[in-house]
Amino acid sequence: MNLASKRVFQWAMLAPVTLLLICVTVFPFIYTVTNSFTDYYYLASDAKQFIGFSNYVKIIQDEQFRQAVWNTLKFMFLAVSIETALGLGIAVLIESMRRGQKVLRITMLAPSLLPPVTVALIWQMMLSNHNGIVNHLLHWFGVGPFNFLMDINIAFNAILFIDIWQWTPFAFLLLYAGLQSVPRSQFEAAKVDGAGKLRIFFHITLPNIMPTLFMVILLRTIDTFRLFDKVNILTGGGPANSTTTITQYIYKQGVYNLQIGYGAAASVIMVMLVLVFSVFYIKRSMGGTA
Amino acid sequence: MRKKMSYMLSLLLTTAVLFTGCQSQGQASGQGSSQGTDKLVIAARGGSHVDAMNAVKESFEKEHNVKVDIIGLEAADLKQKISLDAKNSKGAYDLIMADDPWMPQFSEAGIFAKLSDLGIQEDSDFEESSLALGKSPYAIGDLYALPFSGNVQLFFYNKELLERHNHEVPTNWTDVLETAKAIKAEDGSAGYVIRGQQGNPIVSDFLPLFWAYGGQIFDDNWKAQINSEAGHKALDTYVGLLAVGENYENTDIVGSVSEGRAAMALGWPSWFIKGETASADYTAIPSKAASDAESVSTGMIGNWMMGVTANSQNPELAAEFLTFITSSDTQKQMVEHGGVPTRKSVYQDTELAAKYKHFPVMLEALQNSVARPRTAKWSQVEEALGAELSAAIAGTKTVEQALTDANKAMDDIMQ
Repeated sequence: MNLASKRVFQWAMLAPVTLLLICVTVFPFIYTVTNSFTDYYYLASDAKQFIGFSNYVKIIQDEQFRQAVWNTLKFMFLAVSIETALGLGIAVLIESMRRGQKVLRITMLAPSLLPPVTVALIWQMMLSNHNGIVNHLLHWFGVGPFNFLMDINIAFNAILFIDIWQWTPFAFLLLYAGLQSVPRSQFEAAKVDGAGKLRIFFHITLPNIMPTLFMVILLRTIDTFRLFDKVNILTGGGPANSTTTITQYIYKQGVYNLQIGYGAAASVIMVMLVLVFSVFYIKRSMGGTA
Repeated sequence: MRKKMSYMLSLLLTTAVLFTGCQSQGQASGQGSSQGTDKLVIAARGGSHVDAMNAVKESFEKEHNVKVDIIGLEAADLKQKISLDAKNSKGAYDLIMADDPWMPQFSEAGIFAKLSDLGIQEDSDFEESSLALGKSPYAIGDLYALPFSGNVQLFFYNKELLERHNHEVPTNWTDVLETAKAIKAEDGSAGYVIRGQQGNPIVSDFLPLFWAYGGQIFDDNWKAQINSEAGHKALDTYVGLLAVGENYENTDIVGSVSEGRAAMALGWPSWFIKGETASADYTAIPSKAASDAESVSTGMIGNWMMGVTANSQNPELAAEFLTFITSSDTQKQMVEHGGVPTRKSVYQDTELAAKYKHFPVMLEALQNSVARPRTAKWSQVEEALGAELSAAIAGTKTVEQALTDANKAMDDIMQ
């Protein structure tokens, strides 16, 4: 096969997947960016007009959007840190156990197997003021009842707690798999040299699972940015916008109010933010330097 | 040979990708479509509405030799699906239900077919305030939808709790606040429960107070009037009620008032009333700010409307079903299955009124009800107002600041 026909052959093989990618990724992205510069209202799409950066200016000036960005970043930082730390702690603990590893592995994973909508609905019932099991339990200890989802001092933390409950097992699973791949000989050598548990953890375990750790952080960072179901079902963004997230803002504007142009602009801003926060991890996980 | 096979395979895959794309688009547009005259598809608000329709549709199906498919959806989902389907030349739905505040948006967008074109005329048996919601422009224009479910907010209270502390059922908001304060002080129970979740809940809960204080959300030129004397007084009262009460979502509102942990709350009838039994006592929402104030309409109307889609593939048959499902006879049957009537004759039916004690109160509330502003931008307005009201009750903004910001946000939206 000569070089030219080899190249044709390669392109022919790549054509289907390239076309598929263009259809499902490139086209929607370009379409979204294009719409973000218009006043596209879905029910009057014929009247769509180019309005330049007006949507972007309006979004940045919107107090609710700024609050949504702050909430999302705060949520991302707290959720990713706590879930990763807890996941790592549990993974190390279970990995060090001599018995019951299998049972714990399976039971630990249950929350992350549930769809977010189901999780939100379950917790909505559990956190109910009068009928919820959480307040009943607290009552036994002589505290409460707490208005978990409507108290401005609690609502954000309640959603954070639910997310941690659901996604710590996911972090655990990846990190546990990472721990399994650490060569046993390194641990044995360290033990022979008289290294303590902490030293072994920081000098052998952690460096070995660093790529997995970055992967967990990357995946959870991207995912926490997309927080929607729990907020929409449990608090509707309130009280006083304290739980509003960027995705919920986009949903309200773009999907519920059908302001496609405005919603598209908010989506573009969100993608930019995700990229800013993900690029470091992506570079690290791809083997480059940040 | 191998090279040719590779090219053929590649071509085949490319064609398959293209074909799949085209096919899925075609399927999406025709999904659930009535395809001929043997099937009608209705996009409905899920729950009791669907149960009620399913219970009575059989006679229509037999008479017209047609299958009626009713798709029950959550409110937000329903609105989204209806809007998306409106762009298809051949609609997936023949009939759609719409919450009454959506009517201006849907009517302006041409989602509904004009009912007079399908042979449906105004019917004076429908309660006037309900029928007005289906017209565009509101109350005076052409008819685009008929009232299917006559929801209207009521004032619920725990009779035993009030009587235990020798309180009458309050008839104005000053008395509501005083009674709530007294019950909180005497009993420790919540005097009043607000429904303060951000968005539609808090707006629906607050507006009856605002109207009682003589407030109007917009003036004739669509300038926001929420930052007004009425707005301040109403929000002060609302915050005052929370101070001697609680802020719950609807399940806890029903539970607390029904079981006597709270004295009073506003709510939709279906929350408290199931068939012949009610878990709490009820009356029309207080219509005055104070005993010496002018009486005004305060009961928020929240009817579910039903209309034929402009892109229905069976508009005539759909119109016949609409006539059937909103007829007096059918409404009487649907009452047994959780239906809420919109016809005066059904409310005034002596047999039904004897069985369903809430009918006279409901009819009175409907006749004195208030519709939310008839603007296509209502959902945006509601969202902005809801956020500011939520800030006021959470204490992150003063009443003054919240109303100022709400007014500005509403004016920006209406520009």
